Amino acid sequence: MVGKRMFFTYVALFVCLLMAMFPIYWMLNTSLKAAREINQRFPTYWPEKVTTESYVELVDMGFMNNVKNSLIVSLLVSIGSILASMFAAYAIARLNFKRKKLISRFIFYAYLMPRTVMYIPLYIVTTNVGLRDSLWGLILVYPTFTLPYATWMLISYFKKIPKELEEAAIVDGETKFGSMVKIVFPLAAPGIVATMIFAFTLCWSEYLYALVIITSTPQKTISLGLYDLIVDDLYAWGPLMGGSIIAAVPVIFLYFFASNYLVKGLAEGGVKG
Amino acid sequence: MSSLVKRLIYPSLGNDSRLAFLLLFPAVAYLVLVMVLPLSWAVSISFTNKYVGRPAQFNGLENYIKLMRDPIFFRAIWNTLVFTFFAVGFKVIFGVCVALILNEPIKARNVYRSLLLLPWTLPAVVVIYTWQWMYSDVGGVINDMLKRVGIIEGAIGWLSQSGPLAMFSVIVVNVWRGTPFICISALAGLQTIPGELYESATIDGANSFQKFFKITLPYIKTVLMLAALVTTIWTLNNFVMIWLLTAGGPGNATHIIATYSYLVGFTNRLLGQAIAVTVFTMPFIILLVNFITRLALQED
Repeated sequence: MVGKRMFFTYVALFVCLLMAMFPIYWMLNTSLKAAREINQRFPTYWPEKVTTESYVELVDMGFMNNVKNSLIVSLLVSIGSILASMFAAYAIARLNFKRKKLISRFIFYAYLMPRTVMYIPLYIVTTNVGLRDSLWGLILVYPTFTLPYATWMLISYFKKIPKELEEAAIVDGETKFGSMVKIVFPLAAPGIVATMIFAFTLCWSEYLYALVIITSTPQKTISLGLYDLIVDDLYAWGPLMGGSIIAAVPVIFLYFFASNYLVKGLAEGGVKG
Repeated sequence: MSSLVKRLIYPSLGNDSRLAFLLLFPAVAYLVLVMVLPLSWAVSISFTNKYVGRPAQFNGLENYIKLMRDPIFFRAIWNTLVFTFFAVGFKVIFGVCVALILNEPIKARNVYRSLLLLPWTLPAVVVIYTWQWMYSDVGGVINDMLKRVGIIEGAIGWLSQSGPLAMFSVIVVNVWRGTPFICISALAGLQTIPGELYESATIDGANSFQKFFKITLPYIKTVLMLAALVTTIWTLNNFVMIWLLTAGGPGNATHIIATYSYLVGFTNRLLGQAIAVTVFTMPFIILLVNFITRLALQED
């Protein structure tokens, strides 16, 4: 009875894995084929000849510049917003002050505010401050989603750190600010790093704001750069899948690195966009 | 200067307000300046004839009246509801199923969990191009597989054929990418259920269905509800998936409000009217956000 149940569990698990993994395999499979093999009538389920042709073509087309742009924006925004979030989250998690409820509610609202509502206002702002078609424009607006997200996640991490540790330090003559920097931040370091990683991946994957703010090729991020591989409705599937692999690998790597924290964070009512 | 620094570094015990203010200031000031003000400003622009690159002139409710007369707008509203309803519905059903599988005592569960989380971790654009390629009627793997097993004879234009097929195809992509999020949330809920509950239910002679509806579902209800509502917001506003897969086509069959607003604002360059689209949908979004906030803070 138990054996039978587990047998069906594993069969079902296998089906789920197949469904989840096949498109990822297909992306990799296509990226390693030669253009001639991709364009034939029947797809080959394993590359007849493994080649890096598509990747070479990507590099020739300047895709690495898109990667560099994404890297700059994602790094600056995730570091900058995690700093502001750490302070804000500490205040909400640990301090008593008037209008605390209002402010935490405001941040949660900001977190849930869809980008499709914000994209035109942000387009107008970046245009008016002269940052259109500039990476700085993205750096200005991306914290609108990373900052509320990171704050919200960090509040739950900070709340888990025992209050007694801080109280003991304060009795020993430490200030609140000092106990925050010396006790809460170091103890929450894994959570802070994980949150920063997810903030990074949010920026790395962003499309809509980049679409309206960036127009010229040298400023384009990965999401936009991939689109440029489609010329006159002709899809260069090899390079497109190669570019997708390049865009996906850092994110997959970072997620695996931080996935335990992610799962915990989700479990504790934090959610990710 | 020195007094400010002193207060920052040596705030008196028990008086948190000053420290709280300083700590919150950067984040809150940023959000007010870059989110609240631009959004309010944009709302005022919806009452003008703002065109990309031209100054705005007040034109009252004209944008809203035009909107009311545009059948494509209503088509987009309907499509948004259909897309969201089915996509969220299937994500919740599949997510719970996968969570139930992962909750069984399987070996190396963490490895499977991470692998099943992968679709959700990928950048949306990557997911979209991969599926577009799989859907392709020239050399696409989905058509090839279905032909091999004899279900179809000729290639199907999954994203381009008229009728409900294109909507179905974009929902599939959305469900594929979004299911892991529900799954992980549901799994977290499942793991809080004490095993004794099932044991005593078994002794009482309850079958699996009874156990699921009487124990499992009530236990994970809140966390599942929260995850489903947050997913609803994301799905309602999933611009990129529709825009890159079908651009709203064929024949507006997949236009949702988000893609329609982009079409008006950036393809047709009628910014004022595009914001009117957003303003029109805002009450619903705010209602939803309000509801989620109450649920989430209550959970806390």
